[in-house]
Amino acid sequence: MIKVYAAEDRHRTDLGWLVSRPSFQFGAYVDPDNTGFGVLRVFNDDFVAPGKGFGAHPHSDMEIVSVILKGAIRHEDNLGNIEITRVGEVQRITAGSGVIHAEYNPSETEELNLLQMWFMPRERGLAPSYETSRYDPAKLTNALHPIVTPTGSEEAASIQQDMTIYLGRLEAGREIAYRQESGRRLFLFVIEGSIQANGVRLGERDSARISDVADLTLSTPEAPAFVLLIDLP
Amino acid sequence: MAKETFIVKNAVGGMIYIDTGKSPVDYRLDAQEDGGWLFTIRTKRSAAVEEILRFRQELNVFVFREEEGRPTVKTWYYVGDGPVEYDEAGGQLTIRAASRIEYIPDTYLS
Repeated sequence: MIKVYAAEDRHRTDLGWLVSRPSFQFGAYVDPDNTGFGVLRVFNDDFVAPGKGFGAHPHSDMEIVSVILKGAIRHEDNLGNIEITRVGEVQRITAGSGVIHAEYNPSETEELNLLQMWFMPRERGLAPSYETSRYDPAKLTNALHPIVTPTGSEEAASIQQDMTIYLGRLEAGREIAYRQESGRRLFLFVIEGSIQANGVRLGERDSARISDVADLTLSTPEAPAFVLLIDLP
Repeated sequence: MAKETFIVKNAVGGMIYIDTGKSPVDYRLDAQEDGGWLFTIRTKRSAAVEEILRFRQELNVFVFREEEGRPTVKTWYYVGDGPVEYDEAGGQLTIRAASRIEYIPDTYLS
């Protein structure tokens, strides 16, 4: 089953300095029928004004992944990590038994756009940790390139869950095939452009929750597209 | 004189269940021999209590201390697997935290 969720149907939170489009129940958006998809609990498409951000706050028992689409984010935590993550980089926090962090847009002029995702970990009470990884943008072309995996690598952040996050850029007229293992789920998000997923159209910022589909083909008949795909339990 | 605020909220959605700054409740905090912490809250079994019990694995528990001329000190308690229970006979909610982290928000992003 491929269930498409239109971009414009997402809730919109506008705090002036922050415009957030959550795909699942979050903050002021309350929908008990839309609290997650498998281990994915939060998928926020956030736009943060220059110089603004989130003050110090705690997290626990979540794997938090931020993919930077535009601009940069500065992170600081009680573990001693102070780091700026930019486009082409991925930030992963294992909140585990507790981490305090603050994050903001360090630019004085450029807006920050990030996708922030929260996943339930494989077990509770893990030791908290933080990581930034960098992927090679050239490897995204007409491929699904893993940027977060259970074991991590030089180009992928590690995550304490049996799941993988991919990014891919399809050129016009190209296809990508993906085989889904039985019993697992796929979450698909179109960052730029529009695509066909097994013939089902998704526009820019649309998402799809996919289950019981063994073979998924992503295609872009007319124009290039940029997608994020999560394979998760 | 220091002002103390006790807050219990949902760690994912942010819904606030207890905020003594807005609606006072009678609560006590006791250190446990194993290093944990026990909150005992005298309260009727309300909708907020039901939500706390329902989301017992997704709680953010704080104590804020504000003192004139000093930065606010926040202490966050890690509930983990609790337990979080309501005692009908005693009319009290108990939240057990495994550990805590004290932090001063003003020292971040400075």
